[in-house]
Amino acid sequence: MSPMGPMQEIPDEFERRARILLEEGVSRIDGRIRSRLNQARHAALAQASVRRSVFWRYFTFMPAAGAVAGAVLVAVLLWPHSPASQLPLPESARPTVEDMDLLADGEALDLVSDETDSGAFYEWAVDQTDTGETHT
Amino acid sequence: MPSATHGDFELSDPTTNSQSRALSQFLAGVELKAFKIAQAALRQEDDALDAVQDAMLQLARAYADRPPAEWKPLFYRILENRIRDMQRRRTVRGRVISWLPFRGDEDEDEADPIAQAPSEEPQPLRRLEIAEAMGALERALEGLPRRQQQVFMLRTLEGLDVAQTATAMGCSQGSVKTHYFRALQSLRAQLGEFWT
Repeated sequence: MSPMGPMQEIPDEFERRARILLEEGVSRIDGRIRSRLNQARHAALAQASVRRSVFWRYFTFMPAAGAVAGAVLVAVLLWPHSPASQLPLPESARPTVEDMDLLADGEALDLVSDETDSGAFYEWAVDQTDTGETHT
Repeated sequence: MPSATHGDFELSDPTTNSQSRALSQFLAGVELKAFKIAQAALRQEDDALDAVQDAMLQLARAYADRPPAEWKPLFYRILENRIRDMQRRRTVRGRVISWLPFRGDEDEDEADPIAQAPSEEPQPLRRLEIAEAMGALERALEGLPRRQQQVFMLRTLEGLDVAQTATAMGCSQGSVKTHYFRALQSLRAQLGEFWT
């Protein structure tokens, strides 16, 4: 038996002979097998081609999609801090806003629903809206 | 940026074309040896063909964009996984069939004839000697444990180095060396008298 150890990399005569025989076996593979391997190779290459095509198609859409996403993100981030939202309200808009405040106020609604005080409340509310002053 | 058209498109990216060409050359270079390796493990031509085809498809599908230097160990890793799956399936099928009361012989694993008769060769005696030696080697290989057979085929037939073989087998380089050493020991013990 050869003293070849597991660390040896250089093939000895036995390995060389084995390789020659195995390669001879490869060279004797018949035409039917070769044909089927050839078909398998072309199928694999076609699949790789399709995969690359899909990849590049999405890749070319990426800049446009990124730009849209960036614009949306910027709009969302800037919206609450927009200077327009901090401008003073025009005079004509004030009563409407105050009406809205009135309706949103739960205590005021209680006054409206209270039959005994409803007349006084309406008068007070109308005065507030028309003059912006307080009449007690 | 590669030019591309959408819809029924054909890409004309030079990098892609060269990569496809390289992949085609790679597959053409390994397919016959891969078939022999699969055949030695599975002992059936059709199963070996299926295993090689699956390995080709998987490599093209998942690893075609990797550097070509990585393809060979990856391809053989995929092939070995496929072979192992088929062997497991066979084992399960064999167990199931063994429990059936009336089973035919058509599904049993049968070794293909190893020697292929050469014809119209100028040196028939020499060819006969080679065929006998090949038959003896292939029978000895079939008798090896799977890992030893695998490492011997990858190292001797495919010419992978220790590191590539370790990648293909999914084990350490030390394990590759040990399996290979034992494979050589076993083959020498069986073929020594035949080859001296």
